[in-house]
Amino acid sequence: MRKILVALQLIFVSLATPLHAQDLPVNTFKPELLANANAILREEITEINILSIDKMLVKNRRMVTVLNEKGDQHVQAYTFHKDNIKILDQQARVYNSSGEEIQKFKKRHFEDRSYLSSSEMYGDSRISYLNYTPVGYPYTVVFEEEYETNSTVFRTSWIPLDTYNLSIEKARYIFKNPQAIPFRFEERNMYGLEVEREATATGLNYAISNVPAFTSEKQSPNLSQIQPRLLVALDEFSLVGVPGSGSNWKDFGKWQYEQLLEHDAQLPQETIEKIEKLTANAESDREKAKIIYQYVQDNTRYISVQLGIGGWVPMPAASVDELGYGDCKALTNYTRVLLESQNIPSYYTIVYGGDRKHLDPEFPSMQGNHVILNIPQEDQDIWLECTSQSIPFDFLGRFTDDRYVLKLTPEGGELVKTPAYDANQNLTRTEAEIRLNEKNFTADITRKKSGIAYDKIYGIASIKEKDQKEYYKEQWGYLGDFQIQKLSFINDRDSVKFQEKLEIEGKSFSRKAGNRLLLPVNFLRPTVYNLPRDEARTTPIEIARGESYFDTYRYYFPQGFEIESIPEKVELKNEFGSLFIQTSLIEAEDGPALEVERKLIINQGLWEPENYKAYYNFLNRINSYNNQKAVILKTTKT
Amino acid sequence: MKNSVLFILILLLGFPINAQNYKFGKVSEEEVAQTEHPTHKEANAAVLYRKQEVFYELHKQTGLTLITQIHERIKIYNKEGFDWANKEIKVYKNSSTEEKVSSIKAYTYNLVDGKLQEEKLNRRDIFEEETSRYRKTTKFTMPAVTEGSVIELEYTIRSPFITSIDAVPLQDMIPIDKLEVSLKIPEFFGFKVHYNPRSPLIFPIEQSQGSFNYNYTQANRPRSLTGSTKFERKKIQYLLNEYSIEQEAIPPLKDENYVDYLKNYAAYLRLELQYTKYPDSPIENYSQSWEGVAKSIFDDSDLKKEIGITNYYEEDLDALLEGKKKEDKVDLIYNFVRDKIKWNDYVGFQAETGTRKAYKEGLGNTGDINLMLISMLRYAGFKANPVLVSTRSHGIPLYPTREGFNYVVAGLELPNGVVLLDATDQNAGLGELPKRARNWQGRLIREDGSSGWLALLPQVKSVNANRLDFQVQDDFSIHGRVLNSYYGLHAKAFRDKHGKTSKDNYVEILEKDKGNIVISNLEIHNREDKGENLRQTYEFNLENGIEVINGNIYLKPLMFAGLAENPFKENERNYPVIFDFPSVEKNTVNLMIPKGYEVSSIPEDFESILGEGAGQFIFKTSLAGNFLRIETIMDLNNIVYTSAEYEMLKEFFAQMVEKQTEAIVLTKV
Repeated sequence: MRKILVALQLIFVSLATPLHAQDLPVNTFKPELLANANAILREEITEINILSIDKMLVKNRRMVTVLNEKGDQHVQAYTFHKDNIKILDQQARVYNSSGEEIQKFKKRHFEDRSYLSSSEMYGDSRISYLNYTPVGYPYTVVFEEEYETNSTVFRTSWIPLDTYNLSIEKARYIFKNPQAIPFRFEERNMYGLEVEREATATGLNYAISNVPAFTSEKQSPNLSQIQPRLLVALDEFSLVGVPGSGSNWKDFGKWQYEQLLEHDAQLPQETIEKIEKLTANAESDREKAKIIYQYVQDNTRYISVQLGIGGWVPMPAASVDELGYGDCKALTNYTRVLLESQNIPSYYTIVYGGDRKHLDPEFPSMQGNHVILNIPQEDQDIWLECTSQSIPFDFLGRFTDDRYVLKLTPEGGELVKTPAYDANQNLTRTEAEIRLNEKNFTADITRKKSGIAYDKIYGIASIKEKDQKEYYKEQWGYLGDFQIQKLSFINDRDSVKFQEKLEIEGKSFSRKAGNRLLLPVNFLRPTVYNLPRDEARTTPIEIARGESYFDTYRYYFPQGFEIESIPEKVELKNEFGSLFIQTSLIEAEDGPALEVERKLIINQGLWEPENYKAYYNFLNRINSYNNQKAVILKTTKT
Repeated sequence: MKNSVLFILILLLGFPINAQNYKFGKVSEEEVAQTEHPTHKEANAAVLYRKQEVFYELHKQTGLTLITQIHERIKIYNKEGFDWANKEIKVYKNSSTEEKVSSIKAYTYNLVDGKLQEEKLNRRDIFEEETSRYRKTTKFTMPAVTEGSVIELEYTIRSPFITSIDAVPLQDMIPIDKLEVSLKIPEFFGFKVHYNPRSPLIFPIEQSQGSFNYNYTQANRPRSLTGSTKFERKKIQYLLNEYSIEQEAIPPLKDENYVDYLKNYAAYLRLELQYTKYPDSPIENYSQSWEGVAKSIFDDSDLKKEIGITNYYEEDLDALLEGKKKEDKVDLIYNFVRDKIKWNDYVGFQAETGTRKAYKEGLGNTGDINLMLISMLRYAGFKANPVLVSTRSHGIPLYPTREGFNYVVAGLELPNGVVLLDATDQNAGLGELPKRARNWQGRLIREDGSSGWLALLPQVKSVNANRLDFQVQDDFSIHGRVLNSYYGLHAKAFRDKHGKTSKDNYVEILEKDKGNIVISNLEIHNREDKGENLRQTYEFNLENGIEVINGNIYLKPLMFAGLAENPFKENERNYPVIFDFPSVEKNTVNLMIPKGYEVSSIPEDFESILGEGAGQFIFKTSLAGNFLRIETIMDLNNIVYTSAEYEMLKEFFAQMVEKQTEAIVLTKV
């Protein structure tokens, strides 16, 4: 309703000033474009002109109407540049809500700064941007940019909607290829959209209209999996002036292998001897690789410096050896060279790190933002993440698991998938003995974690004890005020298992109800899923990784406590997972006890948006069963 | 014989045998071999030695330059300490001049096969970055750093800003084993040295006097035309005031949650400029009193001038105020400025853009906006004055200085007192300051330049009253209505948090953490009327909100309105707990007992007092017919609770949580 009101308001604004000379027509927006939108891309024309294999001219004109403060980011009146990307022109005009031009910016008014990503220490990427603070909403910015580059391997694809909460009225893409250099193009997620298409050997002309905004929803796939895109790549191209070619992964990977990797790495003799000595008694390549990986972890750290071609080519292994630091490329290459010194072949592998994002398997082109190392083995390949000083050998964790990656081998590129960790592997096994007393309780807790559960916890071993204790107090806030008497960890990096052992003492975690006590039988609750009701779910539901939680709790009671009732058995199972809880009175070694067996399994998967309600209900039921209580009658007065 | 033993003993005491060598480059094997800090075992890194020398240089051409030389030796114990191998040196600049970092020399020391090895930082691995309009950063990371490495570095900062010496840090987030500070200040400057009163650490300062020499060559022209020019080396001696500190074993600053600004609690020295006395110039005094500071700011920061310019807005303002009643005008002017000129996020008491330009462009800093507001209020016949403020992040100044203030708001004099206005905050109403300005006290400057103090911390408690009526349905789900009323700063806090949230998203936020709930018919009154009280009503359906076991119904007295967990979880605290404003929170819950049930047990009435009048919690129930009413009041009078009061505060909250989670039991009749 409110969205329609905004639409009406805009109509009203445009009617209210009919006599004023307008610089920009104030459109009335379709309600579907206002839904979830903080800004509307009114019109964008992107023109890419391939002058030659190593010269590309890009012109872009972007008109964005910003509806509110959160929409400011969508103006995107900036151009990234560096040595090989030369800005020819930039200008912008700003219009107020009635379409009158209020400010005009020429190229010289743009501010120029170095542009560092958060993990970068130093780099030569720069940004030339419009520093404009809006004074009212809605407002419209028309931004024009023109730049030239000698890299034709990037920035040829068209991704008009690269962010949430932005809708598109119209966006056009023109690809000019006058020399008819062979190129490939493929559409992604354009089905069902209003698309104009025109394709010839010398170019493309595409347009899409009326694309509603995506909204970021919990547990949805990465935006790259759902946004409309037109992938475009030249078969012959250049990277910062280095020519290349390739129309399939094999050739493309071969080019990268040959041009971007270090082939005659020279390590100091001293280092090689050291490695030889360290690995002298190792019995297998796997064992040797493990020693070498440990050596890298002990002697390097991650520091990112991206300068010139260094943004694409790893720093030489000898420099890493000397400085003891490097970025992902440098550290991966260094590890590769060390392995090579012991005749163990390994492959530099390109990946998208972070939330799961695949290299598009069907569209060979320059992709990825991170590299890892692959060591081929007869049975199962070894995978190494070389930027971490603490992650176990042959364990990738959430950053690069289960996705398409490109191995660079002397024979060419090879598209493979990194290992996935399934629900059985991602296990948290908890055992706790809880002793209730008149005024307080004590508990001995043992938790064992593996797979992704390991990945999430192992860092705790290296933080300060005070922070470790605070972590548990935050996690288990529902236990009330408690003290941690003993705390110990076993980080078994060899088998990727982590054990936490705690002894705690607290006042009370049960609720008083007159002369009864309500005792929550699920002593520790797994991460509480808290999804919004979201009746208009638009994106698919993704459970990125399966998980299992197997728990056993035993409660012991003092004299004068009588169990009035225990919860009924729970058995719940569907496509999303299963829950089993059984509470029973047992005769344990230490006397009568209440025992709770609990098994929760969450399945990995991808479901259509219409399944959201069922998933939401499933999680709600888990949550309410998590709150099951036994009733205890206090028969003696204290 | 006896005597010689004594002599040796004295010798040993005076010159410990394992004396460390702190000369640059004299890193010892023992230092690199050390695996943990001897006294602070948890430390990831430690400063083994830090020397800071501050002094001046005088050259004929360039005049005086302020020089800071740093020499640091840092030990890294483990991987978590690697961040200490990354160095950022931040310096100031302005449009005409800047501080310069030079002579960076840095080495990493490691033990390789039992031998000490050094690795030099290369010049090409040092980077410089323009961080902001006023800041430049020199960055580098040390080579060959591993667990156990010792890094040693030296650098010099040359500053043209000779009258302001940066605070000298005396404490860090890691232990400092040995610290040497030396300040050498020629007689041209009178600085007063202060410690941070919020830190318990105070080290002795040794003071002495020396001489500051100015060497120059003077050319003496001969009287006759034939003689040659004679050069004469000359020296002028000035007095030099020297301060030095030598201190060992300085504990690290403890890191805690909910601290306003941690660095406010670190030990440091701050230098206050009292006067300058350049050769052949009269003494110039700097701000010995707050009265003087206020006057000097008023006189030479264009405050008077900016307030005096009126022509750029007269026409618009006349039109706005025409025919309006006097009592409505303040609101009109305030809203006009607040909505027309947007704040550019820069603080300052000076009008950086200039009020006229800020008005035209609709954008300005705090000085632009609030001086304009004062000007307009005066133009409309009100008595309005600038009030100088120090923001929370700026801290509480230790002594009277212009740098003590960094912000300005408007003080409107009305018959019943001064009302503070800040038009840079989109959600503030008359008399409400944004959190950043609610700090310490303000200095109001009257038209004649005289000034006085004004309280900035809210004096009145803001109330949040919640009412929840509900009944249990036949299927044991709950249907109910909620009314939340927010008064004063609670209303502002609501607008700060949710003012820009769309209704759909807001419902999602409301539903969060309330279980299996559906909220409907949400209405928010006065959301946009800044300064007015705000009211929100909604209905809800909640499943699994109560427990039904063996035919008994168990429910939480406040349902989801109560506090589920104690926000204070740490066992002890070193710093004060700071709330935003004094507050009262009232909850009233009315429950209709379902048909066929009766109350079997209700939590007992309860009252607890926090300290001596610092706060109060009341829990009260009453049963009338088939209605059960539960009332709670939480009253927090103070904004700041000291670390000594922490235990008490934690216990106060613990009792409150316990009481709010105690169950009401209903049984079948």
